[in-house]
Amino acid sequence: MNKLEIDWTRCDGHGLCATLLPDDVVLDEWGFPVLRGREITRGEVTNARRAVLACPALALRLSRGVEGDL
Amino acid sequence: MTILQENPLQLRAIGQPRLLAGLKEGRAELHRHLWTHGPMPQLSRETYAELATAVGLRGRGGAAFPVALKLADLPSRGIEAVVVNGSESEPLSRKDRLLLTLAPHLVLDGATGLAQALGAPQVLVAVHDAAAASSIRAALLERQDAVDVQVADTPGRFVAGEARAVLSVLEGGLAVPPGRRVLPTRKGYHRRPTFLSNVETFAQLAVLARLGSREFSSTGLSSEPGTHLLTVAGAVDRPGVIETPTGIPLETVLQFAGAPQTGAILIGGYHGRWLPQATGVQLSRPDVRVGAGIVLALGTDTCPLGEVHRVAEWLASQSAGQCGPCVFGLAALVDDFGRLLNGDPAGWHDAQRHLGLVPGRGACAHPDGSARFLASALDVFGEDVRSHLGAGGCGRAVRGVLPVPGGAW
Repeated sequence: MNKLEIDWTRCDGHGLCATLLPDDVVLDEWGFPVLRGREITRGEVTNARRAVLACPALALRLSRGVEGDL
Repeated sequence: MTILQENPLQLRAIGQPRLLAGLKEGRAELHRHLWTHGPMPQLSRETYAELATAVGLRGRGGAAFPVALKLADLPSRGIEAVVVNGSESEPLSRKDRLLLTLAPHLVLDGATGLAQALGAPQVLVAVHDAAAASSIRAALLERQDAVDVQVADTPGRFVAGEARAVLSVLEGGLAVPPGRRVLPTRKGYHRRPTFLSNVETFAQLAVLARLGSREFSSTGLSSEPGTHLLTVAGAVDRPGVIETPTGIPLETVLQFAGAPQTGAILIGGYHGRWLPQATGVQLSRPDVRVGAGIVLALGTDTCPLGEVHRVAEWLASQSAGQCGPCVFGLAALVDDFGRLLNGDPAGWHDAQRHLGLVPGRGACAHPDGSARFLASALDVFGEDVRSHLGAGGCGRAVRGVLPVPGGAW
């Protein structure tokens, strides 16, 4: 399953992701993305990949399930 | 330096001490250690896995991750290192530096025993406290281990104690958690499989290896038997580290530490939760997350929200500054709590919103833990919130019961 993920150490709040993927990303009051957290369906993957490539900080990622925290 | 550190380390036990056995007269050098505990048996990886499963041993650094799962997640070969996380960056906790300072051989037994069982060539001990580091170094001169043991100093910042931040320091990097969430068991030290756990976990493993699962389970809860170390602080007559069986009533702990008027109790430190009172509370998961074992009695003569506000400022200052929501969110919460203290209802409303915007949005659990601490304060101190909003204060001064380390500590 595909999900959007943010590397918070890289994200600088440029906000392109929220413009490109308005159904999945909104911005908080400081301009940082808030993820809806829903699954990216097969048909949406192409657009999601484009958004990932457009992120100026290389902070947005599309992952196949997180490995989890310790 | 904090207030607690100025006093000599106090240690006591309710029931039979295990980790603290034989430490009444101070640090246990090798002979006294062996006289108290006996020789460390050499066990196989399978035996460690069986023992850890049988007694449901969990990591004692705060996250309470099951040791058996961590062992099972390691590959069958190619394990790079066993890492003892002794950074103890939680400002209220004293148990890990106490173990490293007074019972270094017990910790080393656990770490080197497991390293041998896993076929890991080295043990790395990450320490912040100077006395603890010199005690471990002195202990290493007394013993001959089959694996290489290195001691490394870590910075004392709060997030520097996070597992992956510790690994980063050990590799010569910055003491900050990396952006990718990977498990040290898969990609740890030098991105190789690593077993990393808290100091007390290794001391418990050394006790478990000697006692076996049956005797280990002769005290404490049946679901999670054995003992744990608690650091008791705040408005108590005898603060310090106490070893108790798991699942002990909170009231017993506080009576033992001498707390006439406990007020609200903070469990689990500055990433933990507040309890309104101690009556009827048993220190057992999942109801009460003991975490790294911190129990703080607030007492009744200080302003709770003022205390929490001071800690909020400190928590905000301890952000590594990597992640936007943590930097801006914690700063906003400090401001919200400040306005709330002065009777501004908008401060309370903004705090509610900001508490929802912080958790889960960082490279480590610092925003999550800080939000948990602040949210539970608003819950438990609801009456104080009302008196601050209604009358502009609760009539009590902020006495600094919650210690806040100054500057870089």
